[in-house]
Amino acid sequence: MNAIEINGLRKSFGAFEAVKGVSFTVLQGEIFSLLGPNGAGKTTTISMLSCLLRPDDGDALVMGHSICRDPNGVKSVLGVVPQEIALYEDLTARENMFFWGKMYGMRGQELKRRVQEVLEIIGLSDRANDRVGKYSGGMKRRVNIGVALLHKPEVIYMDEPTVGIDPQSRRNILDSVLELKNQGMTVLYITHYMEEAQELSDHVAIMDHGELIACGAHHELVQIVGQSDRLTLDIGAGAFEAAGDELFRCWKAVECVHQVDAEEGKVILLVQDSNRALPPVLEIANSLGVRILGIEIQEPNLENVFLHLTGRALRD
Amino acid sequence: MKILDIAFKDLLRSTRSAISLVFMFGIPILVTGLFYFMFGRIASQETFNLPRTRVAIVNLDLAAPRLQANRGSIPGGIRASTVSELVVEVLQNEDMRELIDPVLFPEAAAAKKAVDVGEVQVAIIIPAGFSSQFSDPYGEASIEFYQDPTLTIGPEVIQTILHQFMDGLSGVRIAIKVTLDQAGVTSFAVIQQVIERYLEGLEGRSEDLAETFLETRAPGKKPETANPITQIIGPLMAGMMVFYSFYTGVATAESILREEEERTLPRLFTTPTSQTTILSGKFLAVLFTVLVQIIVLVLFGRFIFGIQWGNSWSLALIIAGTVLAASTFGLFVNSFLKNTKQGGVVFGGVLTFTGMLGMIRIFGVNSPSATLLGDTVSLLVPQGWAVRGFVYVFDAKPVSDALITFLVLAAWSLAFFSIGVWRFGKRYA
Repeated sequence: MNAIEINGLRKSFGAFEAVKGVSFTVLQGEIFSLLGPNGAGKTTTISMLSCLLRPDDGDALVMGHSICRDPNGVKSVLGVVPQEIALYEDLTARENMFFWGKMYGMRGQELKRRVQEVLEIIGLSDRANDRVGKYSGGMKRRVNIGVALLHKPEVIYMDEPTVGIDPQSRRNILDSVLELKNQGMTVLYITHYMEEAQELSDHVAIMDHGELIACGAHHELVQIVGQSDRLTLDIGAGAFEAAGDELFRCWKAVECVHQVDAEEGKVILLVQDSNRALPPVLEIANSLGVRILGIEIQEPNLENVFLHLTGRALRD
Repeated sequence: MKILDIAFKDLLRSTRSAISLVFMFGIPILVTGLFYFMFGRIASQETFNLPRTRVAIVNLDLAAPRLQANRGSIPGGIRASTVSELVVEVLQNEDMRELIDPVLFPEAAAAKKAVDVGEVQVAIIIPAGFSSQFSDPYGEASIEFYQDPTLTIGPEVIQTILHQFMDGLSGVRIAIKVTLDQAGVTSFAVIQQVIERYLEGLEGRSEDLAETFLETRAPGKKPETANPITQIIGPLMAGMMVFYSFYTGVATAESILREEEERTLPRLFTTPTSQTTILSGKFLAVLFTVLVQIIVLVLFGRFIFGIQWGNSWSLALIIAGTVLAASTFGLFVNSFLKNTKQGGVVFGGVLTFTGMLGMIRIFGVNSPSATLLGDTVSLLVPQGWAVRGFVYVFDAKPVSDALITFLVLAAWSLAFFSIGVWRFGKRYA
C-alpha cells in the first residue's frame, strides 16, 4: 500500500517556480529519501505535504488523506520533524512534550505515559526537567524528533534532521530513523547528504531546480551511470605533459576501462571492476616510467548519479 | 481545550521571562513608588506642628471669692473654685499638653528670672486680687504676660489662648454688668445663670480645650477635601498602569511573531489544530496577562500606596475596558510587523507616542490646558480613554460615565481585534 502518493505538485513564489510538477510514491513502512542540493525544492515539497503551503497545482494523498481536501486528516496521521529546532527553549523538555502532545489531541495518563516513553527513546529522561535552552545542539535535535513521535504517527517527515550536529548525535539519529522503520512507520527523509540517503533509504528521489530528476531504489539509480567504478589517479603535472597522450592511449586499450578523462592534473578512469582494472593500469604506468602519486577508488553512488544527471556535484 | 493549553503555555513562558516581569510589574511600581516618596515627602511637610511652650504660672490670687458656677458646666471637667484657679487649671489641662508645658512658680520674680535665663519661654502672673477685681462688675482685672522677646510663635500661641479665654470671661462680666445696670437685676441666681450659659456655650464648641481656644491652620495650605495620596499618586498609578498595560499587550502579542521566527508556529500549523484555535489561544494569553498585570497593580496600589480606587463597579468597568483595549491593540500593532526586529522600533515609537498622548491629563494635574487636551487630543488614542476612565473613578463620577468609557474602549477593541485577526489570517492563510 502507498503511504504517500504525490501527483504533479507545483508551487511558485511570484515569478520563481520552486516546485515544477513533482510526482512520486512512497510505500508504507519504508524509508524514502528526498535528495538534492540546497534550493532544489525539497523543503517546499515537504511544506506542501505538511499542509503548511497550498500547492498551486496537483495534489498528494497521505495515508489516503488529500492535502488539499482533508488537511486535518493528513495532520492527524503525520509527524513532522522540521529542519530548524522548533521547540520552546524556555520550557523544559517534558513541558515541551506535554504541550505538543496536547496539540495532537493527547490527554491524561495516555499522554503522561507516552511522554515518558519518548523521553526514554531519545535518551533524555534524566534531563527531562531541564530547560531546552540549556541543551546541546544534539540534544535539542533529539527532542525535536521526539516531539514528532509522541502521537505515534503513521508517517513521519524528517527535514534534514542531522544538520549542524556532531558525528555521535548524527549516528544516534540515523539509528533512530532505522528503528522507526522497524516499528512500521513510513519515513520521508529529506537530506542533501548523499551518504545518509544511501545508508537509510529503500527508495530515493533526487530533486534539482524544483524537478524530480531520478527516483528509484539505490541499485536502480546507480545503473543510470552504468555501474562503473571510478578510479582517480594522481600522476603529477610533469608526467602528465611528458607521457600523457601515450598513457591515455594504453589505458583506453585495457579491456575493462570504459572512459579516460583528465581533470586538474589527475586522470579519471571509469572501469567495469576496479579490482580487475587496477593491475594492468599500474603496469602500463610503470612501463612508461610514470610514477603514481595517489589512487582513489570510488564505487558508483548517488553522487555519481547526480553528477551524471546534472553535470554538477551534489555539494555544489 | 487546546485554546487554554496554548494560553497556559504562553503564560508560563511569560512568567519565565525576567524582562517581561520587570516591564509588567517592576517599572510601573517603581515609577509610581518614586512619585509616591516624592509627593509623600511633600505631603508630610504640609502637616505642621505648633511648638510646645514651657510656661511659668504664678498665681498670687489667694483667698479670692469662691466661683459660683456649676462645676459640671466648666469645659474639660475642670475643677476650680476661683477665677484665677480656673485660669491656672485651663493652662494645666491635659488637652493643652501638646501646646503648653506648665510649671508653677510661687513668686513672680522667680518666674520672670526663669524666662530671662531661658528655662521657660513665657511667664503668666495672676496678680493678687484678680478674682476680686473680676467679680466686681466695675473692677479692673488683668493678668501679667512676660515673654522672651526673641521668641515669636510659642508665646504668641499662649497669648492667643489666654486672650481667647479671658475674652470669654470678659464677655460674662459685661453680661453681668449689663444685667445689673440695665435690667435692674440684683438676684445672684440670674447672674449665675448668665455665667453658666457662657460656660455651656464653650463646652458646645469642642470637647478639646486646645481646639476651643485656639484655631490652628497650616500656613498656605488649602482646606483639605480628599486624601492627597489619592489625588496625586492614584491617577499617576492609573496612568502607569494604562501605559504599561498597553506595552504588555503589544509585547505579549509579539509572541505570535516570535513563534513564527522560532519556527514553533509553523510546527503548530502542522498539528491537527486550527489556525483560529492557535490565534485564539495566543490572544487569550495576552488578555489574561494584561488582566493579571492590572489587578496586581491595583492591589499593590491599594495595599502599599494606600490608593482608594473608588467605586468598585466603575473600577471594574474601566479595568475591563483597558484590558480589552490593551490586548487587542497588541494584536493590531503586531499584525503590521514583518518580524520582531521591527517590533523594537515600532513599539518604542507607537507606544511612547500614544501612551504620552493618552497621559497628558495625568502629568498636567490641575492645569486647565492639560484638562482641555485630555478631553480632546488624548481621546484620539485608546490610552486617553482608559486614563479618562480611571480619572472618572477617582473623581467619583457616576457608574454611567464609566460605562460609557467602557463602551468606547470596547469599540476601539472591536476595531483593533477585527483588523488584527484579518491581517494575521491573511498572513497565515
